[in-house]
Amino acid sequence: MSGVGKEPTDPTLAIELASGVRWVHECYPEPIGHVHVSVFLVETATGHLLIDSGSFYHRDSLARRVGQLTGGRGIEALILSHSDYPHSGNIPSFRRDWGDFEIVASCADADIQGLPYARRVRIGETAEISGRPFTFLDPPLADRSHTTWVFDEASRVLFVADGFGTIHPPDACASSWGELDPDGRAQGVFEFHEQTLPWLRFADPARVMNALHAIFERHAPAWVAPIHGPPIEANDLDAYLLDLSRAIERIAAR
Amino acid sequence: MRMKSRQRTIAPGIHLIQECGRHRGGIADAVLARGVDWYREGTELHVPQNAYLLAGDQKTLLFDTLSPAASKTVLAGLEDALDGRSLDYLLISHPDVPHAGNTAQILRRYPGCQLLAPRAGETHALYHLGEAERVGPDDELDLGGLRLRFPEATFLDAAVHTWMTEETSRTLFTVDWLGFPHLGDECLKCVDELDVEIGVSRLEEFHSRVMFWFQYVDPQKVQAATDALAVEFEGYGIAPAHGLPIRQDSARYFALMNEVVQRVADAGRGGVL
Repeated sequence: MSGVGKEPTDPTLAIELASGVRWVHECYPEPIGHVHVSVFLVETATGHLLIDSGSFYHRDSLARRVGQLTGGRGIEALILSHSDYPHSGNIPSFRRDWGDFEIVASCADADIQGLPYARRVRIGETAEISGRPFTFLDPPLADRSHTTWVFDEASRVLFVADGFGTIHPPDACASSWGELDPDGRAQGVFEFHEQTLPWLRFADPARVMNALHAIFERHAPAWVAPIHGPPIEANDLDAYLLDLSRAIERIAAR
Repeated sequence: MRMKSRQRTIAPGIHLIQECGRHRGGIADAVLARGVDWYREGTELHVPQNAYLLAGDQKTLLFDTLSPAASKTVLAGLEDALDGRSLDYLLISHPDVPHAGNTAQILRRYPGCQLLAPRAGETHALYHLGEAERVGPDDELDLGGLRLRFPEATFLDAAVHTWMTEETSRTLFTVDWLGFPHLGDECLKCVDELDVEIGVSRLEEFHSRVMFWFQYVDPQKVQAATDALAVEFEGYGIAPAHGLPIRQDSARYFALMNEVVQRVADAGRGGVL
């Protein structure tokens, strides 16, 4: 993977994707393979922010790794894709560790989502978080209503929450999607989406894919960064989309 | 000072505990712009969270917990509805914050309570449900005079998810499906106690937000699934998590939902909830 950081990132802590964006990957073992439950650490002019907080299942490891990556300072903001526990579960403990950093979320009623202290952003807007501009997008692939995808305008990394996941082999936890064995990738894309987005059984595949293509035309990503799968570099995106299209057709045909 | 309980009985042994939250100004503005006939400007508009206590002759079960903003509401409502009895089971329909947000508080208050979770899904440990007893379509739980089953959720967000029926009263608990906003003077009521009918517009206002994915479906597939539910649960009342209970003529609401999905597929999502 390509990295442009000032200093090489220790690959046991995180993998650098693009300008100031690091993938802090964690995995959860399932009977059919591993699924990532990751976070992304983004460097800002004044410090660091996280995309999602990860699951409490990985709390100690994430706290240690993010702590080391930030020189012990922790984060000054966290952008939450949605309040689902594997994405939001570490917010209370991280705030205890690193202080009351800013929480940015797109839900309409933050109290009901357990986030009374969150700053609300609206789908469609571009907002500066810690001095770095992010655009918040309506996600075609999501489970919860208040999910947002987040486009980092500086690095052109698109953070896609529950979309674009892949179940991967236990020995490929640190691989990008393009580095996975092509023989198993399509099945991993299918298994992830069948398991995670049950509504795809009712989908019109063309409607879903048209919505995705419209997003990529407007916000051409350098990387697509899912929480539940390996990151997908721009060069691999067409191959992923082909596998995804076939996966949705299989799910919808059941 | 003890807070006023927000619970009532909707059928013998079945208690509704309701969290209405704050006025939903964004939805109110949207429906005013559309000129709907069921909303009056300046009126409170709520999208509730409902928990249901099922109190049988022998055992008691709470279905969902309300949101973290309503810890006092659910604990006070439970205490009232239990009337001195213990809570034996807590079943989480799905581990979504507005449904499961008070799980720890309730288990602390009722330490003998057994946590139950949906059998469906693969990631229970990511939700603190790894040790919970699992229930699914093959299971039945007899509370004494109340008999619970756990059909697969047809319309759902998270994979770890279950619907529930109570077979004595013939009540179907549909969780996120068949919700709708209500007005400030309709809190804790059942639909048959309203002066107005619930129409397709109210149902659309909810589902075009929560089931935003209706915009990406083949409407005929959803309508076929809804028709199958109407046959399977003919004569059942509906107890949703985000609307008022529908105790009569549920067939009408299954038919309305077929209109809703077509509308959302045509017009797109209504917003965020």
